[in-house]
Amino acid sequence: MNKKNQGNFLIWGAVVLVVLLACGRASLSYAIENTECMDCHGDESLSRLQSEGMKERLYVDFNKFKFSVHNLNSIGCVDCHADIVALNFDNEIPHPAALAPVNCSGCHTEEGDAYKDSVHKKAGGKGISIPCYACHDYHYITHLDSSSVYERENTFCLKCHNPGNYHDWLPQKDVHFSLVECAVCHAPDTSRHVSLRFFDFVQAKFLEGEEFLQALNTDYDGFMGLVDQNNDNVIDLDEFENMVLLLRQKDAIGTFHGEVVVELTPAVHHINKGKANRECEQCHNPNSAFFQQVQISLNKKDGSRAQYQVDRKVLESYYVNHFYALGGTRVRVLDKIGLVLIFGGISVVVVHLSARILTVPTRRRRSKDRRHK
Amino acid sequence: MSHDKMMYVHPAPVRVWHWVNAAGFVLLILTGLQIRFAETFTFFTLEDAINIHNYVGFVVIGIYGLWVSYYFGTMKIKLYFPDLRTFIPDVIRQAKYYGYGIFIGEPNPHVMTPDNKFNAMQKKAYLGLMFVFLPAQMITGLFLWRVKKFEDYISLLGGLKIVDTVHVLLFFFFCAFMIVHFYLATLGHSATAHFKAMFTGYEEHH
Repeated sequence: MNKKNQGNFLIWGAVVLVVLLACGRASLSYAIENTECMDCHGDESLSRLQSEGMKERLYVDFNKFKFSVHNLNSIGCVDCHADIVALNFDNEIPHPAALAPVNCSGCHTEEGDAYKDSVHKKAGGKGISIPCYACHDYHYITHLDSSSVYERENTFCLKCHNPGNYHDWLPQKDVHFSLVECAVCHAPDTSRHVSLRFFDFVQAKFLEGEEFLQALNTDYDGFMGLVDQNNDNVIDLDEFENMVLLLRQKDAIGTFHGEVVVELTPAVHHINKGKANRECEQCHNPNSAFFQQVQISLNKKDGSRAQYQVDRKVLESYYVNHFYALGGTRVRVLDKIGLVLIFGGISVVVVHLSARILTVPTRRRRSKDRRHK
Repeated sequence: MSHDKMMYVHPAPVRVWHWVNAAGFVLLILTGLQIRFAETFTFFTLEDAINIHNYVGFVVIGIYGLWVSYYFGTMKIKLYFPDLRTFIPDVIRQAKYYGYGIFIGEPNPHVMTPDNKFNAMQKKAYLGLMFVFLPAQMITGLFLWRVKKFEDYISLLGGLKIVDTVHVLLFFFFCAFMIVHFYLATLGHSATAHFKAMFTGYEEHH
């Protein structure tokens, strides 16, 4: 090998070495698989003592984690616990014992921004801190879209708050709590919709999305094709009626229940004290924005949902018998009957009174005649 | 006006019940209109309208208790029950009077006495009102007041909207009734005679 070739060999060798080292370093961090973490964190007894003497459990139930929204989107342990770059199994703890708090807003930027100016973030100044996982939990976060009001509230607000203590001004507060998600009033920037779910009288339960579709002999993709006969992507009242008839033909006897829930957008984190909607008229009024969006929500196995637009007139029908926002979703035909009754009453009075006035001369004449006799 | 021409037809408990009930009805109608048509009527805030409606509703239920106690306690409740043997001809005669006789100055075929103060048409109307319509309105109102508390009964009746439908239809009926009732009260021997009698208890005999 001559000197020139020797020089080239050294340069290329160095380049290959640098590339290999770079790859090697990269492979060090990407090599940390969830299964490696679970070697230790899959042990139910894994815990550590906190400075206050309390035991902190470090166990992660992998079977539950598998169905978390993060795992389903291929987010691994070290994607969130980003300060773990290598595992050294020569040490008792193969990574730094004290890890930095997970920075959720690194990915969830808009949610983080909305949360910054919220009462929960501001509570941090009073000596407590409410990180994301205080509400969202650590490792088992699942889709909430198809969750009912109860599930949404139990998972979040009711962990800390007892709404029964604060809403004495609110008529029928228990009805509101069970049919209206807290954030509907407390996160006024968020858009809302009425979510309709089918309750089967025979099975005495809400049908799961697949069960509902099975009753109609269709699937998530075929549902609108079956129901939406005019193909305008909205199930109008006639189409809804036909769907109910179809369900009855298939022996699915039940009714639709409605709930007012928020769209799960970042704005739902922007909750502030004193900003909640307290005007009953905002909701209990047929022009309310709260009822403009109505959807049939069919849950899926992963917790997400398929949603199908429904004309709000359906809320004013007897097909949604167990959901009634006083005034807001009233049955309009009753108003027409009411008008007929009231104007009928007025007409009786006006006609009778007019006849009495017109017949005054007759009565006077007859009275005179009687006196003469 | 000599005193022997006066008849004591409306005892004190009946008068108290009547006027408390009347005032209650007016308030229930005003607040009820606002509750149903919040986008149109703004007599109060909706929150106040609902609270007033609830409180007044209980007053009306309570005073209905007074009416029931008085009429059943004294057994004067029979005033409301028509004589089935003469009921149909009595109704026809009374309807003829309101539809024709009153215009030509014929006397009212029904002569009011303390033991027979309602004509056949009144008996029929008030029997339905006091024993069917008003209790139905009170029961549905009670259910709507605490939907969660009475949810089993509401479900049994077919759901919230069914209970509300009954309440609303009766509401409209009572609105119409108030108009007609007020007018019919002017058909005494003078326009104010029946109103005065409902305050004093004494109806002038003619």
